[in-house]
Amino acid sequence: MNDMRIVKRDVDMNDIKISAKDVQVYYGDTHAIKDVNVEIKDKTVTAFIGPSGCGKSTFLRCLNRMNDTIDICRVTGKIEIEGEDIYDKRVDPVQLRAKVGMVFQKPNPFPKSIYDNIAYGPRIHGLARSKADLDDIVEKSLRRGAIWNEVKDRLHAPGTGLSGGQQQRLCIARAIATEPEVLLMDEPCSALDPIATAQVEELIDELRENFSVVIVTHSMQQAARVSQKTAFFHLGNLVEYGETGQIFTNPQDPRTESYITGRIG
Amino acid sequence: MNNDKHIASAFDRDLEAIQALIMKMGGMVEANITAAAQALEDRDVETAAKVRAADKAIDILEEQINEEAARVIALRSPAASDLRTVLTVMKIAGNLERCGDYAKNLAKRTGVLAELTPIDGAGASIRRMARAVEEMLKMALDAYIQRDAELAEQVRQRDLDVDQMYNALFREFLTYMMEDPRNISACMHLHFIAKNIERMGDHATSIAEQVIYLVTGEMPEDARPKGDLTSHTDLGLEAP
Repeated sequence: MNDMRIVKRDVDMNDIKISAKDVQVYYGDTHAIKDVNVEIKDKTVTAFIGPSGCGKSTFLRCLNRMNDTIDICRVTGKIEIEGEDIYDKRVDPVQLRAKVGMVFQKPNPFPKSIYDNIAYGPRIHGLARSKADLDDIVEKSLRRGAIWNEVKDRLHAPGTGLSGGQQQRLCIARAIATEPEVLLMDEPCSALDPIATAQVEELIDELRENFSVVIVTHSMQQAARVSQKTAFFHLGNLVEYGETGQIFTNPQDPRTESYITGRIG
Repeated sequence: MNNDKHIASAFDRDLEAIQALIMKMGGMVEANITAAAQALEDRDVETAAKVRAADKAIDILEEQINEEAARVIALRSPAASDLRTVLTVMKIAGNLERCGDYAKNLAKRTGVLAELTPIDGAGASIRRMARAVEEMLKMALDAYIQRDAELAEQVRQRDLDVDQMYNALFREFLTYMMEDPRNISACMHLHFIAKNIERMGDHATSIAEQVIYLVTGEMPEDARPKGDLTSHTDLGLEAP
C-alpha cells in the first residue's frame, strides 16, 4: 500500500539534525515532558501535534533554550543539534538562537522599518561587513520569506503597517536572516486567514530545501499538508512519531487514532 | 479499531448513516440473488421480472452511498479508521452493485431458459451455488458491521468452495453439450449464469478483504485461495 503515493513524501535526506534523549521538563513540581526521545531529520518539516497542554510547545521551546527564561523551569536529558549538546555550559544561548530561529503564533515585528526588522539579527551577530552586504541579506531574506515583491518599494515603512499575513512572512524572513539551521514555528498560522495560511504553508515547503523545520500546530490538516514527519504528544509523552501519511491513515497507537479522528481533546 | 464516540456527534451520525445504507443495499442484493436463483429453478418468469425491476433501486442506492461518502470526505476530512470506513463503504457499494447486476442478468436468462428443454439438475445446482455465494455476502457484511477481520478471513477461504462448484458445473455442462447438441443453447446460458455466480463470490471476497483493510489498516498480503480451474479445463473428448 505504501509505495503508491500520489505525492512523494519521502524525506530527502536521512541526516539527523536534532537528537533528543530522555528529555524531562519540570515547571516547579509539574512534570511537563516525560522521557521524550526523538530524532528530527534535516531538510524535513516535522509537525508536533497534540491537545492543549500536552507539552508540544514546551518541547519545541527546549530546542532553542527558550525555557531558560522561565525561572521555575528545569530541563534534564540531552538535546544535541548536529551532535553538539545545546545545554552544555559553553554554549551561548544567544548564539544558539541565531542558529535555531523561531516564529511565534502572533506576528511580532519590531516597531521599526521593514528593512531594520530583517537587518537587526545580522547586525548584532556581525554577519554583514558593509551596507551593500546588509542590503543583500535583507533582499535575500525577504525573497526567501516570499514577501519581497510586496514590500520592495516600501522597505523603510514600518513593519507593523503590514497585514497580518505579511507581518508573519516578515517574521519568518527575519528568522531566516541570520542563516539558521533549524526553524521552529509555534502555531505560525493560527492568527492568519486561509489565503495567508496557504502562502505561509507554501513558504514552509520551500524552506525545507535549506532548513530543518519544526512546526507546532493545532490544525491537524495543516500538519498533514506541510509535514513529512509527525509527532503526537499527549500528557507530556511523545506517543507516536512517524511518517505523516502513515500517522494520518494508519496510526499505531490508539491514543493517536483517538486524537486525529476527533475523539479525545 | 476505535469505538469511542466523536466529540462532534454529527460526525458519528454521518458515518452511521452511510453504513446503514450499505447494509440496506446488501440486504437488497442478497434478496435479489436468492429470488433470481429460485425463479430459475422454478422457471418462474414473473419473479424473474421482479428481480430485474428491483435492480434499479440497488443502482440508485449505490449512487446515494457514493454521494454521501463524498460529502463526508469534503465536510469532515476523516482520518485514520474514519477515513478507511468511508473508503471501504465506497468500494463495497461498487462490489454490491456488480453482484446486483449479475443477479439481474441471471433473471434475464431465466426468460430464455424457460422456453428451452430443462437440463437435469442444473437449476438445483445453480441454486445451491447461489445460496453459498449469498451466505458469503451475508458473512462479509456481518464482518463489516462487527469489524471482525477473522470472520472476513473465513469468507475468503469459502470462495474456494464456490470455485469448486463452478468447476463441477462447467464439466457437467460440457458433457451435456457433447451428448446432445440440442442442449447447447440452454447449457451456454446456464454456463454464463454459473460464471456470473462465481464472479459474485469474488466480489464477496473483495468485500471481505475491504473489511480486513478497515480493521487492520492493511490489505491481506497472502494470495487468497483460488479454485477456478476452468481456464485450463479440457474434457479430452472429441465431438462425434
